[in-house]
Amino acid sequence: MGAVDVKPEAPPSPTRGPKLAPFIVDCDCHHIWHEIDDIFPYLPRQYVEQIRDFGPMLPKLSYTNVPNVLGYRADLEVTRNTNFAEFTVREHLDPYQIDAAVLTGGSVYGVVGISDVDYASALARAFNDWTLDTWVSVDPRYRMTLAVCPNDPAQAAEEIRRLGDHPAVVAVMLPAGARNPYGNRFYHPIYEAAAEHGLVMMTHFGGEGAGVTNPPTAAGYPSYYLEMRMARPQIAQAHVVSLVCEGVFEKFPSLRWLFIEVDTWWIPGLLWHFDADWKGLRDTTPWVKRLPSDYIREHVRVGTQPLEQPPRREDMRTFLDWAHAEEMLVYASDFPHWDWDEPRAAAAMIPRDLRPRIFGETARELFSL
Amino acid sequence: MCRVDDLPPGSRREVPVGGENGVMVFNVGGRFYALRNRCPHSGGPLGRGVIRPHVISNGVGHFDFEREAEILKCPFHNWEFDIATGCALYDPSMRAKTYPVAVEDGEVVLTLG
Repeated sequence: MGAVDVKPEAPPSPTRGPKLAPFIVDCDCHHIWHEIDDIFPYLPRQYVEQIRDFGPMLPKLSYTNVPNVLGYRADLEVTRNTNFAEFTVREHLDPYQIDAAVLTGGSVYGVVGISDVDYASALARAFNDWTLDTWVSVDPRYRMTLAVCPNDPAQAAEEIRRLGDHPAVVAVMLPAGARNPYGNRFYHPIYEAAAEHGLVMMTHFGGEGAGVTNPPTAAGYPSYYLEMRMARPQIAQAHVVSLVCEGVFEKFPSLRWLFIEVDTWWIPGLLWHFDADWKGLRDTTPWVKRLPSDYIREHVRVGTQPLEQPPRREDMRTFLDWAHAEEMLVYASDFPHWDWDEPRAAAAMIPRDLRPRIFGETARELFSL
Repeated sequence: MCRVDDLPPGSRREVPVGGENGVMVFNVGGRFYALRNRCPHSGGPLGRGVIRPHVISNGVGHFDFEREAEILKCPFHNWEFDIATGCALYDPSMRAKTYPVAVEDGEVVLTLG
């Protein structure tokens, strides 16, 4: 997959510019398999046989995600033999002096759409074991999110109790595609287990409209990938509002929830409107005892990527203030995808005084790093 | 304003004084209160709103009730106000103007100040 035919002889500089913040956390560093066969050593025999016979049985919609099925940027040279864990250290962690990178997966977001919850749970378990053996063991800066099957909360909680005390495990991943908004009490056993182990709940764009999950929008299925991407914020908002209204943060006061790759522009408007409507309607959900914005500012964090790009650069400061960026936003690169936010480019859009918090401190507190 | 007997507990009466919409006088369990009939939030006729208890909760899915008939919900946007103080229950920056009400010789007396 060569992007260019002739390359300069000199090796690249080990670091790219000065460090952007005293402690840098990348909250969205993807880790994927080459092929599902990579996790066969961790999968029960019946599923290996079924996959060999029929393929992965991981549902998805028919959108593209350029430039190829692995999703690595066109300028990155990867082959079937590339060790992705080492490649990511070399191309990403080292050059940008990243102190901790949260592995957010990607290969098994589709478990949320699988109707056979035993198969889905087994895939999640296998992916976690594979992650520990082939990624976490490679570099101490790697932290991992646990893949679980949200549609079987009992098995998901079991998986959290199995691996939740591993020092590299910092979060539990529920893909944004879902059968219910995540405040629904069906899922609460998962949150109970996460809270027990001090793990952050995390939701990354993925799985919407796939298999048994709901369509990506309430208006129906987007036709095109561009259209689908514009749906991400509304899905995230539905989950955030559900978490507040169902009293999840009253029930699990220590729980924190990080949303990744769902845009950030909606934060100010949602906080304003949610508070205003709560003042008139809060007696219909009296267990929501505080302003919704209080719960969200205390319990919800949002990844910066894709960072907003207002036409007038000077408006960025206003926007970040409205979004409570100093407490709510955490840097997320989305490496190695085409639409990632390169750290220096992201920093250029973020006022200097906010960089220490956004690039590291807030995530460090969130994950107790 | 009127005889005490004309304003029994649980009732209210709009008095056309003190500006647009006037003043609403309430009898809450034998105590009399008066509020400017204009919501400080967005100008609705506050006094004509639904009278409610304060709805609270001791856990997700549970409803409890206290302060029966002491809370007024503005017809515009449903914000809750304490009839006795005029304060919005969930927005400390909002307060409806209150007026003193007294009972003298069986008459309800409203003082506009």
